[in-house]
Amino acid sequence: MTTTDLGFPGLAGVPAATGKLTAKDFASDQEVRWCPGCGDYAILKAVQSFLPELGLRRENMVFVSGIGCSSRFPYYLDTYGMHSIHGRAPAIATGIATARPDLSVWVVTGDGDSLSIGGNHLIHALRRNVNLTILLFNNRIYGLTKGQYSPTSETGKVTKSTPMGSLETPFNPVSLALGAEATFVARTIDSDRKHLTAALRAAAAHRGTALVEIYQNCPVFNDGAFDAVKNPGTRDDAIIPLEHGRPIRFGSDQQYGVVRTGTGVEIVEDPADEDVLVHDAHAADPATAFAISRLTDAGVLHRAPIGIFRQVQRPTYDDMAREQLAAAAAETSDRREALAGLIAGSDTWTIL
Amino acid sequence: MPARTHAHPEPKPSLPLSRAIVRFAGDSGDGMQLTGDRFTQQAAALGNDLATFPDFPAEIRAPRGPLPGVSSFQVHFADHDIFTAGDAPDVLVAMNPAALRANVGELDPGATIIVDTHDFTDRNLAKAGYTANPLEDDSLQKYSVIPVDLTGMTVDAVQKFGLSRKDAARAKNMFALGLVSWMYGRPTESTISFLRKRFARVPEIRDANITAFRAGWNFGETTEAFAVRYEVKPAPMPAGTYRNITGNLALAHGLVAAGVQSGLPVFLGSYPITPASDILHELSRHKRFGVTTFQAEDEIAGIGAALGASFAGSLGVTTTSGPGIALKSETIGLAVATELPLVVIDIQRGGPSTGLPTKTEQADLLQAMFGRNGEAPVPVLASRSPGDCFDTALEAARIAVTYRTPVLLLSDGYLANGSEPWRIPDVADLPVIDPAFAAPREDAGAPPFMPFERDPETLARPWAIPGTPGLEHRVGGLEKADRTGNISYDPANHDLMVNARQAKVDRIAQSIPPTWVEDPSGTARVLVLGWGSTYGSISAAVRSVRSNGLRVAQAHLRHLNPFPSDLGDVLRGYDKVLVPELNLGQLSLLLRAKYLVDVIGFNKVAGLPLDTDELAEAITVVAEEN
Amino acid sequence: MTYVITQGCIDVRDRACVDECPVDCIYAGSRMLYIHPDECVDCGACEPVCPVEAIFYEDDLPSDQAAYLKVNAEVFADHGTPGGSVKLTDALTDHPIVAAVPPGVPTQE
Repeated sequence: MTTTDLGFPGLAGVPAATGKLTAKDFASDQEVRWCPGCGDYAILKAVQSFLPELGLRRENMVFVSGIGCSSRFPYYLDTYGMHSIHGRAPAIATGIATARPDLSVWVVTGDGDSLSIGGNHLIHALRRNVNLTILLFNNRIYGLTKGQYSPTSETGKVTKSTPMGSLETPFNPVSLALGAEATFVARTIDSDRKHLTAALRAAAAHRGTALVEIYQNCPVFNDGAFDAVKNPGTRDDAIIPLEHGRPIRFGSDQQYGVVRTGTGVEIVEDPADEDVLVHDAHAADPATAFAISRLTDAGVLHRAPIGIFRQVQRPTYDDMAREQLAAAAAETSDRREALAGLIAGSDTWTIL
Repeated sequence: MPARTHAHPEPKPSLPLSRAIVRFAGDSGDGMQLTGDRFTQQAAALGNDLATFPDFPAEIRAPRGPLPGVSSFQVHFADHDIFTAGDAPDVLVAMNPAALRANVGELDPGATIIVDTHDFTDRNLAKAGYTANPLEDDSLQKYSVIPVDLTGMTVDAVQKFGLSRKDAARAKNMFALGLVSWMYGRPTESTISFLRKRFARVPEIRDANITAFRAGWNFGETTEAFAVRYEVKPAPMPAGTYRNITGNLALAHGLVAAGVQSGLPVFLGSYPITPASDILHELSRHKRFGVTTFQAEDEIAGIGAALGASFAGSLGVTTTSGPGIALKSETIGLAVATELPLVVIDIQRGGPSTGLPTKTEQADLLQAMFGRNGEAPVPVLASRSPGDCFDTALEAARIAVTYRTPVLLLSDGYLANGSEPWRIPDVADLPVIDPAFAAPREDAGAPPFMPFERDPETLARPWAIPGTPGLEHRVGGLEKADRTGNISYDPANHDLMVNARQAKVDRIAQSIPPTWVEDPSGTARVLVLGWGSTYGSISAAVRSVRSNGLRVAQAHLRHLNPFPSDLGDVLRGYDKVLVPELNLGQLSLLLRAKYLVDVIGFNKVAGLPLDTDELAEAITVVAEEN
Repeated sequence: MTYVITQGCIDVRDRACVDECPVDCIYAGSRMLYIHPDECVDCGACEPVCPVEAIFYEDDLPSDQAAYLKVNAEVFADHGTPGGSVKLTDALTDHPIVAAVPPGVPTQE
């Protein structure tokens, strides 16, 4: 069995495919059942097209999801998969990834699944840095339950459960992840296949928990939530593209730049070149990445950074857990003999 | 008022006893659990049969003085086989007024009370709720009270080690242990070597404890307060090598054994909770057996990770107590739907809600049976004694792996912390568990893999683990179509699958032994039927009733779902069936519903094991009415 | 898999589908609109909004329109995957099959 060294350190140890696979090999025989126009279709297509690039055997890939529209995802991929229960996918995936170094483990989740009912599991997976790739489909609404506000909906949002407007401050998933000690955090957009694929590629390459927030349009309950960053007429002024090592400039004429302030960053029109912040995704301190994440509108979305906010190396929970096991096992050659010793203990007496 | 002492020229006479019950009681910081544990090891080393009952407050360092902070440890040891930690102690060691007041009510007249007089100050007496000093009035007249300044004598004895007064006084539990060890002529080597090891890094504390222990022994030897000592000879037990073991330790070892005997890595996902945490602690020390322990962020993540590991081909295990089961219910349902092996362990404690974390109860049976949405049948097992936790853990793993199902194993606080001598099994005699993973299909022409096709014998589906070529499939909580495992909303399919999952659990009955029934007379018309940790109390009570000439049969269930196939016939074979439980009648409810047999409940929910005398009386009433 | 625009669109070019497409994969020729098969994500948003019901899922193409699977693909032969119709400034050159359809010919039925 060959293991991969295909430029994806995150997948080291996962057996490589023997033949070349195509997007079709990853499509299951199940009929896709999202609403027409749903952003999930674009993400599914991008993932199916990207997976062959990993060069892995299908049987060594596992997709785990929770509950919600996005969580149907595993049914449409011909890999191993589990469509689990609401919010728990990161916990289940942690078990899978810790038990098996030879699997490429993916979590597909939504803003309700991962930030509301499953918030606890998400932050702890990030903190532990388990070798998982988490795709967080953020449509800022509850779709499967037909249109209640979500933990990423803007304050004042009028929905079925908030007829007079939501009273809550939304989460910024990127800020949350950075606060939870995440080692890899990226944001991308469902309809931008190229950018989405690049984000997937970088996330798969990362060893540790990689969180990719994907802005995903719900055409039924929250249509147009991301129009500002999608429409050709507005997107150049709305998207703040992050590329490691590059100055953060944007705008239809590159007229805006991100510059440092005393404690954070701000957007300035026509800044001097030397004042423009050069993006450093590898910075050990997440403070600047966090400051950049705060440039995202909390209300109706008019502006948002996209790209990789943070990408640093830290030993992963599952690698270290297996190392402890291996170190302990090295002392034991015969488990049955060791078991006999264990159950006998040290204080025994014999009756003849 | 310290007892006067002087050298005793003659060795004191030794009185033979068949059994004795000693209870050590003090504040939760007084080291009573350690003292009891050492006394237990001494009894084990001597070859007595024994049973123990540690009882302690939920608080780590409960406030000193008041009654709720009292911690105790009872040891019952005998020259014959015994089943319980005993009801009323023969000897109570009370380290302060609160310990005396909390325990004196349980003593029979004539019992001996060794009491540390040092803490009998006005303030402590008031805290314990005494208006007068019981050592100075006649309230303890019916007992044999031996007032001793244990603390003062301990401090004097260890003076030379230069400890602070507080640290010196802390060795008083070893003084008490030395004294009681002398009373019963216990071997002392194991305690001294234990102290040497335990305090190896702090020589002055080590020496102070050993000195206090010896001083206690010598005090017994020389004081006039004790005229006689007692001797409890070794018990005749089946040949073999024995050790003393607690339920939680036996359970942890059973899980390690299940991993070895199945060849599967064990994955424990757990969140600390009393009284189950010791299993997590123990298993975390056994990585060399391929045991991974994951301390999760909560109960739900604990079982979630375990189920994920099971999907990936490990033996997934989660440990908790009743409140944790409530949180895990949804994931247990997912394990039912995905039909994956999973061992779920509930060390029951007093409920509802947070209840009594350190007290014992059997009130989670119906939660184990039915505590899920939808028709979600789960096999349920219960251990009956500390040592039996080992075998039950192996049996739970066997059922989980063979039938691809979550299994609920019920233990409780009494079994978890209580101990008994356990005959160490030969590893060669342990059952072998076959994971029987589904085989790869690399032939392109092979028919498509059917992840929900059932084995005709067990009705189990294939366990097809990731990494196996040709078996790619998706599982999940949505209803699955028979055989293909695709999502299905078809009414007829749902009906079929609900029945198939139930039939699979029912099928387990074919692999379990018939009901264990004991009736020495062979003609009993009354059956006493129990489950779980009440085995000891019921056995003792039944034996006592039989010794009075009544004919009573006893049965005890390990398998609570499914029941043994012959259970209905067993129940119908008697005129009366008495079912003692530490709940309001949960097994009774199940038996009445399933077999239409009008069983009689004996129910007590006090957070304590059943009182043998009380139960014997209840059995007698039923047997004599018959 | 992909959705496919068929003959019914010729000389109609309503564009309701273009507004619906979440990934902007519907491109205009001079006489009809075309779906880029590699950019289509199969979401089905376009199909119900077509006023002349000219859009079909690949598997559901009427047999007399089967050629349009090829038509929608071949028309992009010189363009690769532009990544959105907004990126293509000029209209596509219609496929020869489309160009050959005489104007005013009743389309389907």
